[in-house]
Amino acid sequence: MHSEQRSLLLVDDESSILQTLRMVFEQQGYQVVTAQSCAEAVELLTNGHTFDAVVTDLNMEKEDIGLEVARAALRIKPKPAVVICTGFASVSNSRAALDLGVDYMAHKPVELEGLIAALNKLLSRRSDSGRRK
Amino acid sequence: MAKAMPEKTGLKNAAPMALVVHPDVGVITSLQSALADKGYVTIVARDLAMALLAITQHYFQVAIVSSRLEEGGDGWPLAGVLHLVFPHAFVSVTSPGEPDVLTLQAAINHGVREIYRESMPAPEIVGSITKQLEDARPAGKRPKVQ
Repeated sequence: MHSEQRSLLLVDDESSILQTLRMVFEQQGYQVVTAQSCAEAVELLTNGHTFDAVVTDLNMEKEDIGLEVARAALRIKPKPAVVICTGFASVSNSRAALDLGVDYMAHKPVELEGLIAALNKLLSRRSDSGRRK
Repeated sequence: MAKAMPEKTGLKNAAPMALVVHPDVGVITSLQSALADKGYVTIVARDLAMALLAITQHYFQVAIVSSRLEEGGDGWPLAGVLHLVFPHAFVSVTSPGEPDVLTLQAAINHGVREIYRESMPAPEIVGSITKQLEDARPAGKRPKVQ
């Protein structure tokens, strides 16, 4: 088991989704920070905040702008697990996500159990890999 | 079929190792030859069982897996296992046709770094992999491959 509380940045412009996901992940033991726009999330990510994981919507202020959140998150060291949730996946934005090195892509409506399991798996793998170093 | 290889293949100075998993011997031969040209020692497997055996015996830096081994899509979970076991390896999948949204999503969710079309010539696939590996490394840490 992970002894420390895992930190998670949730990014979505729909406050109902944000609050639901916050509640779900807090129940899972995560320390959750939320952002309602790409700009807000990028500011958090570039101002010295670190997170174990970032879960972001894709379409917010602009179409596919969630990729900018992913890009900013993937520049941080240590690299957080990055998950994109979208109802508007296309070949173009999925290809961009693959090229960026996004860890998981979930389709909306998101199946919560699947998302939680995927995130837990990604973070367990990271902490396991960190212990091996 | 997995080849017998000497032990300690994961040593720092040993040649980098690649795993090719594909049901077609012709494809395997082409990829093996292209990888050898780039300095890789290649282990090949034609099915899931041999691939899993190879995973237990070697440390791979590169893996090229067909998305279809015995039936359509059964290469994806193997690619996921490879990513899990060798998190720093470049795991790629060959797939028929242009990748669609579901294929790209499968790649992301299985930790696959790149998808190549089955029809792509082996030297191009290997060239793309080695270039991406080179680009990902800091200047002072380039591998000693041709």
